[in-house]
Formats: sequence, structure tokens, C-alpha cells
Amino acid sequence: MNSIKIENYTAEFGESFILKNINWTLEPEQHWVITGTNGSGKSALSAILAGAGEKIEGTITGLPGHIEIVSFEAQAELIERELKKDDADIMDVISEGTPVREILEEGKAIYPEFDSKLLNELVAMFKLEHMLDRSFRKLSTGETRKIMLIRALANNPDMIILDEPFDGLDADSMQLLHNLLASKVDAISMVLVLNRFDEMPEFITHVAYTDKGELHHTVDINDKQAYDDLYQLLHLKTTDLSVPPTDESDRPPAINPEDPLVRLTDINVAYGDSKVIQGLNWSIKPGQHWQLSGPNGSGKTCLLNLITGDHPQCYTNNIFVFGMQRGNGETIWQIKQYIGYVSTALQWEYRVSISLRNVIISGFHDSIGMYTKSTDKQKEVADQWLDLLGMKDRANEPYNQLSFGDQRLLLIARAMVKHPTLLILDEPCLGLDDINRQLVLALIEKICASGDTTVLYVNHHAEDQISGIKEYKQLEKLSAE
Amino acid sequence: MSNNYFNTLPLREQLEQLAKCRFMSMDEFSDGVEALKGKKLVVIGCGAQGLNQGLNLRDSGLDVSYTLRAEAIAEKRQSWKNATENGFVVGTYEELIPTADVVLNLTPDKQHTPVVEAVMPLMKEGACLSYSHGFNIVEEGMQIRDDLTVIMVAPKCPGSEVRAEYVRGFGVPTLIAVHEDNDPKGEGLALAKAYAVGTGGHKAGVLMSSFIAEVKSDLMGEQTILCGMLQTGSLLCFDKMVEEGIDAGYASKLIQFGWETITEALKYGGVTNMLDRLSNPAKIKAFDLSEELKVIMRPLYNKHQDDIIDGTFSRVMMEDWANDDKNLLGWRAETAETPFEKTPAGDVEISEQEFFDNGILMVAMVKAGVELAFETMTAAGIIAESAYYESLHETPLIANTIARKKLYEMNATISDTAEYGCYLYNHACLPLLTDFMKEIKTDVIGKGLESADTGVDNARLIEVNAALRSHPVEAIGSVLRGHMADMKKIV
Repeated sequence: MNSIKIENYTAEFGESFILKNINWTLEPEQHWVITGTNGSGKSALSAILAGAGEKIEGTITGLPGHIEIVSFEAQAELIERELKKDDADIMDVISEGTPVREILEEGKAIYPEFDSKLLNELVAMFKLEHMLDRSFRKLSTGETRKIMLIRALANNPDMIILDEPFDGLDADSMQLLHNLLASKVDAISMVLVLNRFDEMPEFITHVAYTDKGELHHTVDINDKQAYDDLYQLLHLKTTDLSVPPTDESDRPPAINPEDPLVRLTDINVAYGDSKVIQGLNWSIKPGQHWQLSGPNGSGKTCLLNLITGDHPQCYTNNIFVFGMQRGNGETIWQIKQYIGYVSTALQWEYRVSISLRNVIISGFHDSIGMYTKSTDKQKEVADQWLDLLGMKDRANEPYNQLSFGDQRLLLIARAMVKHPTLLILDEPCLGLDDINRQLVLALIEKICASGDTTVLYVNHHAEDQISGIKEYKQLEKLSAE
Repeated sequence: MSNNYFNTLPLREQLEQLAKCRFMSMDEFSDGVEALKGKKLVVIGCGAQGLNQGLNLRDSGLDVSYTLRAEAIAEKRQSWKNATENGFVVGTYEELIPTADVVLNLTPDKQHTPVVEAVMPLMKEGACLSYSHGFNIVEEGMQIRDDLTVIMVAPKCPGSEVRAEYVRGFGVPTLIAVHEDNDPKGEGLALAKAYAVGTGGHKAGVLMSSFIAEVKSDLMGEQTILCGMLQTGSLLCFDKMVEEGIDAGYASKLIQFGWETITEALKYGGVTNMLDRLSNPAKIKAFDLSEELKVIMRPLYNKHQDDIIDGTFSRVMMEDWANDDKNLLGWRAETAETPFEKTPAGDVEISEQEFFDNGILMVAMVKAGVELAFETMTAAGIIAESAYYESLHETPLIANTIARKKLYEMNATISDTAEYGCYLYNHACLPLLTDFMKEIKTDVIGKGLESADTGVDNARLIEVNAALRSHPVEAIGSVLRGHMADMKKIV
């Protein structure tokens, strides 16, 4: 068998779905799982191997001679065919339709490699002998699915495409099928479409991930890190995301809803003779999500630090935050209790060996590391966040041994854990790979939509836009004077 | 000229003051910064301690400004830049001192006398003068106006760490004291506690001490184990390795980063843990070497402590101050010319464990130095808590400076007082160890024990382990580290 090469391939499926610009190579001996959210194009991607879709451009080369596909669509097609047969048979008797045995043996005449012995074995294995003479049309969905699987395997193809093969199968049948597929891996290349990673058979060597009609990632299963990231991403995409509740007993004093959260008046910041910010005015009202952008050196981080109290010149400017006019005896901890904050600088500074759970809990205390005892409620909330991030089983692992992307995710959870009045995300996706970037963006969108937090989002990348943000502030670099 | 305050006290009181040191409990700080709220804090000096303490105090809601000498302001010196770029009000002594409720003297020791003489007449009736080191009061016998309250708040870490830990939401261990001769309103302790809270120190543990205990233990620690032993050890170990044919780059790296690595183990689990990082035969070797070193060096430690207690050390050093630091600058230049200092660390990979395995002598030196300093201090009447902080606790902090830029960085970071004492120690210790070093081979410094056989005699191992674990510095260490861990709760 040759390698299959799909290059710059775009195809239409009906009027509403397009699979865009696919580049994908499947080597012999590889067994793939295609995964993605509902509607992401994973079935379509598998189906183009079997010739489905209307090609707009691109090439597919190296396809093996005999490919079998078992999918919901193929199943529907077969049932449709049976119904048509019924219609065509205009006789005044009730048609029984094609018996199961005939459906199963259809391949015998077409494929020289058809394996009658295997067919019988499989029928016995799935205990379907008693149905062989029944009408295919009258089978239940699960039974139909089994028949299709058996038929595809008995046809003894070079490649088999199984779209959600485990859907609707009971546990025993699922196990049987697993074993069966495993016994065939040397003879047949497998491409499985799966929603869930926990159903992934052990013989799978590669995973493809689709999103919005594009093939986003292909991951070698032995690349543990990439695999884990993908697992998390899928987990996040397919879980019904909701932002966990917070510890309501630990809320900062309420602020007057008429006041802006932040009001900066005629802000000036300079280092020696070089001015970074000059005469800036800005207000952030509750519920008003903002995106802040500007070139390097335009003072974005400086501006944020004035708000968070981390910039020493906050004491020489007219800054009103969360009901406090700065420089009147308030402490930075009084201000920080209203803010959740994520930035690359924070990640550099957050170098501690505490557990993942405690990293999230530290968000309640605005501390780097944990210096006070956590309450049961805080632990409970933290665990819900870990669950959301797909890190539930890793609560006690040390934070400093995580990948960069996982650390970032955890710090976002840390920033959100107290449902801050203002969530500041300073280039939250900086340095993240594509998988992790999507993960973070998905999380932020949920947070924006959740209600009680106002988001201030700093970003360069147009493609990382967040739905829900309507206000934009652009900073310009001050010209040297 | 100066008049040693300690020497004016009767023995009974000397002993009482030396023995003052108590680990305070967290609930003693429940008033927070209240005692300083609304008061005007004026910091003199804007170096690392001055700036960073001021930043913390301001972020704790307190009113902080800086006063500098008129020349520093006019010439826009670094201290002026530090203060103004951080948005602080800066003014001359005449402008700000009369408005101050608390004056924080955070200038170097050496400037204390002229600074205090300049500001004292300008201070408000009943104000407070705060120090972060008691040298001026104890060794120079500075007399402070009767109406003024005199306190000390001394974070036991470099200024940069004082700030970094605060920003993380924590703090650094801090020593506080009230000068009892100057506490006219009885408010010294409340002010010192509020100050410690303002810098975040209460979260990391506060020791209530005395000016005298602080000075006498601080001087002893810095001269001997902290700086002196590390300097002498660096020079001897390097020369020995080169003499034995070990690559100079490797030798330089093993020492420069070795102190930091082995004292990291010390920080976490005391001398016991540091030696537990060695194989059993290596541990016994290090133990034997350190016992030998302790016998040879004990008279030197005693001499340093005696000179500190009776004021000889500070008198001699102040003579050098008066002589434009002739000795200090000469010794500094000499250190810069030593082979260790001039050989850059080689581009070789040394694993964390290798620093222990190939640095058995360094481990022995740290053990001997820590134990001797602790034993000598406690024998002189300094209480174990103080002795622990001034020996074992601070050793890793100093070792970190050597890892950055060798002895130059260490001596640049520590005070001139510590640096002067370090050279005194080094000059005396080098000849003292000449014969000892003749017997040293690469098995204990540079290459590690050659034998693959890691077998040891059971009885001997039990004996060594018991001796390690039962040393008094380990007993107090586990208590104090326990307090720290309780407070830190880094789980």
C-alpha cells in the first residue's frame, strides 16, 4: 500500500458545509482517529477518502483500491436504498425487503477478497444467526450498525473507515468490536471517527483534529505532550462548559454600581526623560468588555499595572479604582481583591512547586504561592476548575512541572476563581501553541458570557478576537522627544 | 569619638540583652499597620533596603517619602532617581525631617553617625527613629534625644527579596527590637510591629530581639560562617583542585555554584539534610573532615566572638573608616586578584548531585562553620534563635551571591562591616588551614570518592547520624523551620 496524500483539497458537502484546504498524509501501517466537535467536519474528512463530497480543488492520490465505510450516512443510504426498492416493487403484497443474509453477502460477487469464513465467525460472535433471514429494514439501529460493520469487515478491504462505530453498541458488543478491530490491524488500515478519547482503541497511531471544516492538528500518539493537549482541548470543546461558582462567603465589599470600575484621568508616566503615557483618559464601566491593543512600547502593560497597583507611579496619577481614589491609605491588597490577572510576566514570576489545586486557590488570596490555609469550599471550587480544564486527576501534581500551556490555563483559572469584578488578560495566548490557544480562547468566551465579570483583554492578534468584546482602545507609541 | 554602649552596661544587663530573642506569634500582629496609619514616614537613603521597604510600606497604605542629602538631590544621583521614578516625594533633611512622625534610617552603617547627627536636631518632639541595624547605637554609642523613640526593624533578606516576597503576598523573616533607653511613651513595640506588618514581615515570622543581641550575633555570623568561611573555602578548594590537575574551569564552576547547591539542602533540612545528600561513605568522610576543621578553627571563632563582644572589632574597623578605608579597599583589590576570582566558570555540565559528590570538603566546611558559629554565639550568651538566624539561616542567601558573580558579588552585596570582618577572618583562616589542606586530595574535592564500594560500618554510620541530628543547631532549626513552614503553608 502507498501513502495517501491529500493536498490543498477543498470539497463541498451539500450547500452548507465546506471542507477547506485539507493537507493530510496517511502512511501505510498508520491507524487514525479523527476527532473534533460536532459539526467540525470530522465525518466529512473521513468520507472524502471514500469519495464523498463535491471536489472544488486539490488532489487526493494513493488511495487504496478497496475502502469500506461504515457511518451514519452510509447506514442511512443503505436504508434509503431498501426503501426505494420497496417502492419500485409495485406489487400488491407487503414487501419483506432484502434479508440480512443477502445484505451481508452482497460483496461476494464484487470483491474477490471477500471472506465468507470471517463473515460466519462474525455473525456467530455477535450472536446474530437468528436474524439472517429477517428483513434488513426491520432491524433496530444498533443491529443495523452491527450488520454494516460485519459486512464491511467481511468484504476484506484495504482500508476501513468507521464513523462513530461504537455509538449505540452495548458494552459487550463494544468490547467485541474492539478486539475484532485489533485483530485486523495488520491487514487493514483503519480510520475511526470518534467523539470521545476514552473510546480510542490501543492500536491507533495518530489523531487528526478538525474544527470549522479545517484539519487543525495531526498528532502522533507517542507525542505524549501533544496528545495530552489535544485531549484537553477536545474535553473542553465537548464538555458543556460553565464557569464554576465561587466562594460567595469571601467577596470583597460591594462597590457603587453607578461608579466606573476604573477611571483614569490625565495619566502621565515617564521614566527619566522618556514618556510612556501622556495625558491619557479612560473609564471602564461595569459589564463593558474592552480590548486594548497597541504596538510594543506603547505602554499597554504599564497602563494595566497602574490599574492593578503594580506600577509605582500609580501614586502620582489620578486613578480611581473600585470606589477608591488611589493614594488615600488603601493597600494594594484591597485593590487586588477585585482583580483577576493573567500575563506572561505573571507566569514568569509564578515559579513555585505547589500543587495544581493550590495554584487555583491562590487566586482567592491574590498571592503567588499559598501562605494561608485553604477552606473546604475553596478546595471544592478549585476542583471544579480542574475538572473543567481536564486536569481533574492531576490536582496534586506540582505546578512547576507542567507544560507552558497547562501553566497558562491554570493561571487563567486562578484569575477567574473568585469571579473577579475585573478580569485582566494581558496577551493570554502569547507563547501558546495552536491547540492551547484555542483552549484558552474557548475558556475566555465562556467567561465573557457568564455575566458578573468585566473583561479587559490585551491582544495583538486579530484572529484571537473574542466574541462579546465590543469596546476597543488603541494605544500609540509616543514619538521620542 | 565613639563610646561603646554595650561596654557601659553591667554584666547582668549585658547577658540579659544578649539573651533576648523570641519568635512572635501571628496573633500579636492583629492590629496590622494601625499604629502607623496616618503618620508621616520619612525614609533616609534610597538604596536597595530603603527603596524596597518604602515601596512595601506605601503599598500597605502608609504615607512614605524620602529624604536625601541636598547634593544627592541637586546632582540627581541614583538614590534620587530611585525615589522619584517610583513616584515618591523627595526632599532635603530640612524640608522633610521636621514633618516626620517616624524617621527610617536605611543608610549604610558607616554613615549612621553623621546622618543621625544631622537629622536628630530636626526631628519633631516625640517622633520615632528607626534603624535596621543596631551598630550605631551599640558599637558607636550614639546618644539619642530622650524624647525620641528608637526601634529597629531588620528584614533578614536583601532588599530585592523584601520587595519580591511582599509582591507575592508573603514577606521575609524580620527581626524587631526596641531600644529600651529610648522608649519614652512605651509605644516602641507597637510601632515596630506595625512597621513589620507594613513590609509583610509578619507573614514570614518575626523575632523580638534586642539591639545588642542583633549586633553581636549579626557581626559574628557575617564574619565567620556566612562570608569568611565561604571566601576562605572558595580560595583553598580552587587552588587545591588546580594543583591536583583538575580543569580550572571545572573547579571554578564547582565552587561558584556548589555553595549555592549544597546550602539549598541546608536551607530545607539543616546540616543533617545537607549531609544526607551524600553517599554513606562520603557522609562519614565529610563528618570526619568537619570534626577536624572544627578543632583547628575553634580558636579563630572564639577570637572573632571575643573581639565582637568586647568592641575590639568595631574599634579597629572604625579606625580604618577614619583612615579612608585603606585596609578595606586594599583587601578588596587583593580578593579580585585571586586565581578563583579570575578563572571563569567552565562551560561544563555539573548535575545537582555532582556538586555534593565532588564537593565533600565544601560540605564539611559549611557544616564546621555553621556549627562553630552557632556554638560560639550560644556560648557567649546569645540565645539559640538568634544564633540560628545569624548562622545557618543566612548561609544560603550569601551562597546565592557567590553563584551570581563570585566573591566580588558577595562582597559588593554585603555591608562594608561584613566585608571588613570577612577579610579579617580570611587572613587568619588561610594560614590556619595550610597543614590541613596538604592532606586533601581530589577524592574530597573535585572528583568524588573513587571506590565503587558504598559499604560502611553500621556502628560508625549510626554514630555519625546521631551526632549530626543531635547538634543543638538542628534542634532549634527544626523548630524555627517548622514555624516558617506553618506560616508559609506551601503544600
